[in-house]
Amino acid sequence: MSALTLHTVEHDSFFTRLDFRSKLTLMGAITLIAFVWESPVLGGLLALALALTCLAAGVKFGYIRTVVILLLPFAAFMLVMQGFLGADLVRARLDREALTPIFTFPASWPLIGGGMMTWEGVLYALNVVFKTLTMILVLPLGLFTTDVNAMVIGMVKAHIPYKIAFIFSSTLRFFPLLFEEIQTIIEAQRLRGLTFETMGALKRLRVYAKIAVPLILGALVKSQMLDIVLQSKAFTGSPQRTYLHETRLRAADYAVIVGSVLFVIVAAIAYVSWGIGRFGKW
Amino acid sequence: MTIDHGSPLVTFDNVSYIYPRAEKPALHDVTLDIGKGEFLGLIGPTGAGKTTFCLSLSGIVPQFYGGRFFGRITVAGLDTLEHPVSRLARHVGAVFEDPETQITATSVENEIAFALENLNVPREEMLIRIPRALEAVRLEGTAKKHPRELSGGQKQRLAIAAALAVRPDLLVLDEPTSQLDPVGAQEVFATVRELNKTLGITVVMAGHAAEELAEYADHLALLVDGALVALGAPDDLYARVEYLERCHVRPPQVAQTFARIQQAGVLVPEIPVRLPEGITALKTTAHSYAVQAPHIPPAATVNRDTSLLSACDLTHVYGDGTVALRDVSLDVYAGEYLLIVGQNGAGKSTLAKHFLRLLLPTSGAVLVDNTDTRDLTTSALARRIGYVAQNPDNQIFNATVEAEVAFALKNLEYNAAEINMRVEESLTALGLWERREAHPLALPKGDRARVVIAAILAMWPDVIIFDEPTTGQDYRGARTVLDISKQLHAAGKTVIVITHHLYLMPDYAERVVVLGKGALLLDAPVREAYHAIDVLASTHIVPPQAVLLARALAEEHHADFPLLTPEEVAACFTVNGFRGSFADR
Repeated sequence: MSALTLHTVEHDSFFTRLDFRSKLTLMGAITLIAFVWESPVLGGLLALALALTCLAAGVKFGYIRTVVILLLPFAAFMLVMQGFLGADLVRARLDREALTPIFTFPASWPLIGGGMMTWEGVLYALNVVFKTLTMILVLPLGLFTTDVNAMVIGMVKAHIPYKIAFIFSSTLRFFPLLFEEIQTIIEAQRLRGLTFETMGALKRLRVYAKIAVPLILGALVKSQMLDIVLQSKAFTGSPQRTYLHETRLRAADYAVIVGSVLFVIVAAIAYVSWGIGRFGKW
Repeated sequence: MTIDHGSPLVTFDNVSYIYPRAEKPALHDVTLDIGKGEFLGLIGPTGAGKTTFCLSLSGIVPQFYGGRFFGRITVAGLDTLEHPVSRLARHVGAVFEDPETQITATSVENEIAFALENLNVPREEMLIRIPRALEAVRLEGTAKKHPRELSGGQKQRLAIAAALAVRPDLLVLDEPTSQLDPVGAQEVFATVRELNKTLGITVVMAGHAAEELAEYADHLALLVDGALVALGAPDDLYARVEYLERCHVRPPQVAQTFARIQQAGVLVPEIPVRLPEGITALKTTAHSYAVQAPHIPPAATVNRDTSLLSACDLTHVYGDGTVALRDVSLDVYAGEYLLIVGQNGAGKSTLAKHFLRLLLPTSGAVLVDNTDTRDLTTSALARRIGYVAQNPDNQIFNATVEAEVAFALKNLEYNAAEINMRVEESLTALGLWERREAHPLALPKGDRARVVIAAILAMWPDVIIFDEPTTGQDYRGARTVLDISKQLHAAGKTVIVITHHLYLMPDYAERVVVLGKGALLLDAPVREAYHAIDVLASTHIVPPQAVLLARALAEEHHADFPLLTPEEVAACFTVNGFRGSFADR
């Protein structure tokens, strides 16, 4: 779990130097395209390109590996669901009746007898998995390469209300503390004879449910303390404030913003005109 | 209750305050003036109203909490009820107890800038104020650092810098040193005093650090049950040792020592409250009276044939490369009471966690009853070794006290009758049986710590490790926990305590292990360890004042005075054949 906590990349790169507004535009463009594209080939290429970009930007390989591992059960679920049960949806997307079977369960088998896994269903499942992976990986690319304060200023400059920007930055700041607290509580339970190593899934769920009580109470105490601290620092949430750091868009930022917008436009034209990105085309 | 001030910066006029749904007032009819440039120490037991007093200065009480407020408070001429907290923040800088919660930014300079930004200070002005604030708290060169790269003392100094940058008239610090090791605490006190003297900033500091407040404060205000019961200079107030002890407030050890000497019939014209005056007075008194080192009972002997816990050339390196322990070898024997001391980051908790297999050695080995912990599980070790961590709230996850204590027993698969028997026994031993139906988190902090101890005791462990059990507790609370540890030791348990508070431990510990930067610096009986001043200093630990007074006596009389407590120092003085006495340890 700790591998998934938020962190900041350790080395300087093209992405760390970008303004958060240009990263927001890039993140938006990638998310939009990933959402629209249904082609598993293009979706897979986009996810792969994004993973490589994350690595180049300094996101740890271990982080990406953990994301992929955590997605595996979801991927397996999607393969089963779409491979066996998604025939109607796939037919509608392809606008044809005949699908390519991979294998069929013997009709005599109870419950699943006659069930057929189709090639198109599997491809559609892969499209959903790649889509999800892309939408997840776009977050570390934008967030891990940006200082929290730069995010706040970038968001305010992008006309997002300061109060929302502040809540967002506070969440990022306290997220790692929350994970630390979970670890401390689990440690305390192990010290009272709890054997996580040999525990079944149901019992584990019950244990996690018990963690919620001290965690929520702790969070309430901390949030009240934070409220007091903020008030004592004259915080009112008013946008009428000054900023220590200035932010301005440079040539690279304009290039990313223009490139992102162009990417969306070209992808939209290609999708509408030639069906590039549609399911079954590529 | 007033002290004559030229022109007060703060006035409390018959102030009473009751929190919503509370039955008793947190502040009760407090009248007080605080002069410009004054350093006021706020003392009192836990629950006396110190935090409420501090919060009322910035208007957070009652504006944030609500409740019923009577009387009037003014700060720099502003009524705290009539002006919003954000307006009062221009005049009142606040520093709180927990260094983690009060820092909200991800860089040092942004932390300082935050209040300035909220107050619409122009950027150019911020660029001038930030380095100045950092310079004032001696944190130059850290502007770009992430606050988590700072030590505890540095974080509190950063919080002070952030408050200071606003250029407040008043700096309010609520127990700012309670979570720091002695050197961190010293850093904070020295910084605050310097700001008070050089910049003339008025300071209100609440805390239990008697020795430091005696040294730095101009005046002390004693709160008991929300009422201001005494106000005066540290020399006057801390000299009233018996009165303070009745109020459950710990006076500086030097004052305690002279009060005991006085009780022994020795003429003490004036009870000193600071160490230098104490040493001078001790030498003067020692010239007038017969002085002889008291009989020190021999230390309890422990069978050292076989060790219960062993660390053999233990080295531990954390994932980020920090070397927390370096070639530490140590044996702990059954029935011992061991104290582990050292600065923050010395490796104390890391060592303890190895005994429970919460951590594994990077190199070397850890043995429990001659079995390598690599071959054991944490849950199996937990049956034998109880670990009471610092914050009880992170160790409570059940809806009733009874369920909390039964939690471990169910995990260990005892039958219902055995569980009931052990729960009752454990709760009765800690005086919690009557509260067994209560939600543990609804109890006061001291009681919550006892619930955790009860839950550990129910497993009948042979060894109990208390990790910083006195942090954040007042003197009474700390003694309560330590008295429990003493009872357990008397019942044959092996007890290990990790703490910075050396002054609390002479009545309990037999053996002391001193760690510094991950290395074992000293392993000696308590008397030897407490007098190894250079070794303690190398890991930023300051011995209790009684030890330093004993050293002064030894220097004066060219004899050995291996004393640890005010009672032992007092027992050196003989009056008409009558000698002050102290209970044999």
